[in-house]
Amino acid sequence: MTDFLFALAVGVLFAIGVFQLLRRDLIKAAMGFSMLFTAINLFILATGAYTGDVPPYTTNVEAGRAVSDPLVQALILTAVVVSFGSYALLLGLINIASRRYGSVDSDDISDLKR
Amino acid sequence: MGNNPLVIAIVFVPFFTGIIALLFSQTEKDKTQRYISLAGGIITTAISVMLLLQVLETGPQTYQLGGVEPPFGIIFVADNLSALFGLMASTVLMMGILYSVSCHDKCISYPAFMPLFMFMETGLNGSLMTGDLFTFFVFMELMVLSSVSLVAISDDRYGPEAALKYILISGMGSLFLLFGIAAMYATFGTLNLADMGQQLASGERPLLAQSAGIMLTAAFLLKSAVFPFHFWQPDFHTTAPTPLSAMLSSVVVKVGIYGIIRLVTLLFAEEAQQIQQLLVILGIIGIFFGSFSALRTYNGKRMLAYSTIGQVGFILLCIGWGTPLALTAAIIYAFNHAFIKSSLLMLMGAVASRLKPKSAEFSYINGLGGKLPWMIGALWFVGGMSLAGVPPMNGFISKFAVARSGVADSQWLPVILAVASGVLTLTYMFRTWQNVFQAKAEPEEVRVKVKPVGDSYLAPALLLAICLFLGLYARPLVDVASATVAQLRDPSIYISVVGLFGG
Repeated sequence: MTDFLFALAVGVLFAIGVFQLLRRDLIKAAMGFSMLFTAINLFILATGAYTGDVPPYTTNVEAGRAVSDPLVQALILTAVVVSFGSYALLLGLINIASRRYGSVDSDDISDLKR
Repeated sequence: MGNNPLVIAIVFVPFFTGIIALLFSQTEKDKTQRYISLAGGIITTAISVMLLLQVLETGPQTYQLGGVEPPFGIIFVADNLSALFGLMASTVLMMGILYSVSCHDKCISYPAFMPLFMFMETGLNGSLMTGDLFTFFVFMELMVLSSVSLVAISDDRYGPEAALKYILISGMGSLFLLFGIAAMYATFGTLNLADMGQQLASGERPLLAQSAGIMLTAAFLLKSAVFPFHFWQPDFHTTAPTPLSAMLSSVVVKVGIYGIIRLVTLLFAEEAQQIQQLLVILGIIGIFFGSFSALRTYNGKRMLAYSTIGQVGFILLCIGWGTPLALTAAIIYAFNHAFIKSSLLMLMGAVASRLKPKSAEFSYINGLGGKLPWMIGALWFVGGMSLAGVPPMNGFISKFAVARSGVADSQWLPVILAVASGVLTLTYMFRTWQNVFQAKAEPEEVRVKVKPVGDSYLAPALLLAICLFLGLYARPLVDVASATVAQLRDPSIYISVVGLFGG
């Protein structure tokens, strides 16, 4: 059941994220960008977090129970930091662009298209 | 396997240089930061030369971070390919810093400029040296975010727009990369390149791994601006500050190339056929698209950025061709192109820096020849010859290597393409030379005033001297490239050097 819910969550987040990223409104696109990264983080979590049900770094594990994978959490932590940095930079750039062009519509911010 | 500190030094010397430079002030007059960065760049280049010599002498070098055994720990591996690309990147970046020492752009005087430049070098060298897929992603993001910030503060008023475009596109690329990495981890339970290569070579091929291969290919193609993913590249490379745009168009696109070479030789060596067919098609389209777009564009820097699409097309064509000779040609081409393209972009920037609007648009720079130092025109002529592949420059060696790989297979396509693209390149390079440096504009046509001072052209002159040297004395590079290909064709060398735990 958890597998199915995870797959559903990743799929739905990915779909919404792609849809938002293709919007003309750049703020919505930025939110879609962040959602896509969340979807991927969930996907990374799903690859290893449910291989066992005992938290990692415990010493006495009962027989027959597996330890959950600690590496995926480290990976997500790094990916979150990276995506957070890109998201902040993206919003900063949108801020500059909105002041310069007076709009956050990607059709208006197209002086380079000649 | 012993730990070789040089492998890690090439990554962390630029990083600490950037941090030290951050402690000092940076203004128009005060150049402390720039000299510190230059020192860091020179040390990095020296390290990369030593590393390449050691690798050629005693085989690939490794460094285990924190002393944890692979595949559990992160390992840095420098084999021939990494060391050669590292030498290329460090040398060109050193020249970029040398150019920015005497650059008159306003953005160079911002205190964040040189540190970000050095962090970009960290990301570049790190992604070339790492033997761990996730670390590769992190270093690539470091490179992307630093270059985006640098473009956003560019003197060009379109800088933020181009940076916005790039960060969205490249964010998508990073997403695919991360998705591919997660899928690989889900399949093989490892992030170590050598471990993955070993498991893939033993014949395990779940569907998830194949889709991961597709996603990684797409991400690398996007990062190196190959034809269907190219649309951000001319904007981004044109609006960047000159020292940076020279780096972006020459070495940063090569990281994607490096990723593709690793992908088809180490990881998906068996599926390489399908990937390579795709690369041949994309390469040929890229060659013609890049060359024709360069012919009809309106801006000097933009012309060179389009020309990069064409030249990257050649490298992809050679990787796609797949024979040892073609792969050698791809490595020679990638190495030589970095020096030629960075010097040409710096020359174009040196021209633009002497004008008031600091723009390389042809409507501004056409007919300025008499007012510019004659040296710039002469250097542009030499660089144009090199880009088009006229002997005795190193461009000829790369074109010759491409043609040789075709002739050895009795296939004439690469030869025809090399000649056709050479003619196209000659056309647009020498038309620019004529219009900008030779033609005399009518007095009423001149709309801009030329300033007496501008960026100095020492860095492009040095780069072109390297080009001439590599053209006259190409033997060492060709030998190293052949040795690299011999090493790449036997993935077990890379895998055994990493020394997997229990394997």
